[in-house]
Amino acid sequence: MSALEPYVEFARKAFARESTYRVEVFTNVGSLLLRVYLLRSLWTALYRQNAAPPNIPLHAMITYATVALLMSLILEIDGTRAIREKIREGGIATDLMKPISLPLYFFSDGFGQTIFHAMLIVPSLLLALLLVHVDVPSPGAFIAFTLSFGVGYLVNFCLNLLMNIVAFWTLETFAIQLMVRWASDLLGGQLVPLDFFPGILGKIVENLPFAAVYSTPLRIYIGELPPSEWAAAIGGQLLWLVLFATIASVVWRLAERRVVVQGG
Amino acid sequence: MPIIETRDLRKVFRSVKRTPGALGALRTLFTREYVERAAVEDVTMSLEAGELVGYIGPNGAGKSTTIKMLTGILVPTSGTVRVAGLVPYLERKRNARNIGVVFGQRSQLYWDLPLIESFELLRAIYSIPKDRYENNLADFNELLEMSDFLRTPVRQLSLGQRMRGDFAAAMLHDPRIVFLDEPTIGLDVVAKEAIRTFIARVNAERGTTVILTTHDLADVERLCRRIVLIDTGRIIYDGQIERIKDEYGTHRTLVVELCEPYPGFAVEGAELESRVGPLARLRFDRRTISADQLIRRVTENYCVTDVSIEEPELESIIRRIYVEGYKDPAVPATLSTPVR
Ligand SMILES: Nc1ncnc2c1ncn2[C@@H]1O[C@H](COP(=O)(O)OP(=O)(O)OP(=O)(O)O)[C@@H](O)[C@H]1O
Ligand SMILES: [Mg+2]
Repeated sequence: MSALEPYVEFARKAFARESTYRVEVFTNVGSLLLRVYLLRSLWTALYRQNAAPPNIPLHAMITYATVALLMSLILEIDGTRAIREKIREGGIATDLMKPISLPLYFFSDGFGQTIFHAMLIVPSLLLALLLVHVDVPSPGAFIAFTLSFGVGYLVNFCLNLLMNIVAFWTLETFAIQLMVRWASDLLGGQLVPLDFFPGILGKIVENLPFAAVYSTPLRIYIGELPPSEWAAAIGGQLLWLVLFATIASVVWRLAERRVVVQGG
Repeated sequence: MPIIETRDLRKVFRSVKRTPGALGALRTLFTREYVERAAVEDVTMSLEAGELVGYIGPNGAGKSTTIKMLTGILVPTSGTVRVAGLVPYLERKRNARNIGVVFGQRSQLYWDLPLIESFELLRAIYSIPKDRYENNLADFNELLEMSDFLRTPVRQLSLGQRMRGDFAAAMLHDPRIVFLDEPTIGLDVVAKEAIRTFIARVNAERGTTVILTTHDLADVERLCRRIVLIDTGRIIYDGQIERIKDEYGTHRTLVVELCEPYPGFAVEGAELESRVGPLARLRFDRRTISADQLIRRVTENYCVTDVSIEEPELESIIRRIYVEGYKDPAVPATLSTPVR
C-alpha cells in the first residue's frame, strides 16, 4: 500500500492539473463531435462507392470509427513524453534523485490524465449517439472489449516509453517519434480496420504489435471476432505486453546507467 | 567510519566532435569522432558524519560533476564512491532516501503545484510519517518564513521564496546528508542570511552532513571549518580554512583610532596603508612582527582610543590560489609560527 502511495499521489496531481484546463475540455468535446460526424459522412460515401470489405457492414464501420476515435482520446495521452523535455532541460536529474521508479512515475502521471479524459468519454459517447448510430455490444462483448482495451493501453504505454527512452541516447527523437506514431495509427487499425489491407499484407499487419492497441479491442467490440476467439486474441495481446514490458525495463535500466545530465 | 568516501574518483565525458559547417554536420552523422575530457580526476576525500564542508573551485572545476556522482545520477568512469555505506549509482533509490539535494540553478519543486502540494507529494514519495512531516513542516515554516506563500503555485514564486521552498523540500525527509550546489546564487543579502542560518541550524541541531558548493566565499566563511578546493578536476587543498588563511594570509591590517591628529604618525615594522581622520591602517607581516608586539609599539608612542585587526579575506586568498595555483606548505618553521 504505502509503496504505491507516491504513484497514487502522482496520478491524483495529474488529474487535478488536467482539470484546470476546462476551456480546452469543451473545445475538445466539440471537435470530437465534429470528427465523429465527418467520419460518418466519409464512410457512408465510401461505402456507396463499394469500397467496403465484405465482412464489415456500414453500421459496424461507423461504430468502429467512432469507438476508435473515443479510444484515441485516451491512447494519445503520453505521460512518457515528458522524458524528452526533462532530459533536454536537465529536470530528469532531480527526478532521479528521488526514491521512485521513473517509468512508474510517468505511468501514473499519464494514468491520472487518462482518468480525467475518460470522464469526458461518457458524455461524448452519448452526444455522439445523437449524431450517428453506434452499435451497442452485448454485455459479454463489452467486458471482453474493456479487458482487451486495458491490455492495449498497457502495450501502448510500453511502446511510448520505449520510444521516448531513445532520448537518453540521442536528443533528436522527433523523426523516430513521427514514424512510430504514423506506423501505429495506420498499422494499428486506428484510421481504418486492418481488414482493408489486402491479402498477405493484411495477415502481416494483424500480427504486428500495433494491432494489439486498437485493432483487437475494436474487432471484439464490433463483433468481428466471435466469443470463441476472444481468449486467444487477448492472450496474443498479453504476449506483446510481456515482451514489450521486458524490453522496456531492460532498456530503461541501460538508459538510467548512462544518464548524462546537461548543465549545472 | 566516514559517511562519504571517494577514492580516485574519475569522470570522463565523451562527446561527439563537431565539425563546423553543413558538410561537417553531415560528416558527424556518419563518422563519429569523440573528444574525451576528464571533468573529475582522482578525487579522494572522506567526510565524517555531521561535517559541513565547503567544496570550492572555479567554474568548470568539476564540483557539480562530483555531486552528481555522489547522488547516484552519474556513473563514475573509474574509482570508488560510497555514501552512507551505499554505492550511489548501483542503489540510486536507496541512496536517495539518505540524501537531500538543493540546486540553486534548478528547482525540484513541482512547477504548476502550490508549494504545500509539492511538500505533500514529497511526503508520499519518501513515506514520511505524518507527525514527523508535520513537525518538520512547522519547524521549517518558522525558520524560513514560508507561510505567506505556501499556497502559491511555484512558478509564481520569487527566486528567494522558491529557494526557501527548495530547502524545506530537500530536508522534509530528514536526510542524513545534504548536497547544496550554489544554493545562494542570485539571492539578496537578507535571503542569503536566512538560508545560511538555516544551513547552520540543520547541521548543528540535526547533525546533518552538508557539502556546500558556492562561489560566494562569505557562505563558506560563515558556515564551514573545512574546505576542499578543486581545480580542473583535481583536489588541490583539503583542510581547515584557518590553515589556508595562516599560510596565505601573511599580511594583516591593524586599524587604530588615534586620540590626536599626530601628523608624522609612523610605526616601525608596519607600513601605513592609509589615514582617514583619526583612523590609521597599518599593514604588517605577521612573520616579522606579532599583532601583540605591534599594538604595544603603537600604544607606547601614541594615544589610542581603539584598535582592531582585519583578517585577510578568504576571497582574496582563494583568488590568489585560483591564479597562482596552490603551493603545498612545505614552509620553513619561522613562517608557520602562529600568531595569537
Ligand atoms: N554532460 C557533459 N558533457 C560533457 N562535458 C561536461 C558535461 N557536464 C560537464 N561537463 C564538463 O565537465 C567540466 C566540469 O563541469 P562541472 O559542471 O562539474 O563544473 P563546476 O565545478 O560545477 O562549475 P561551475 O562552478 O561553473 O558550476 C566542465 O569542463 C564541463 O564543461
Ligand atoms: Mg556547478
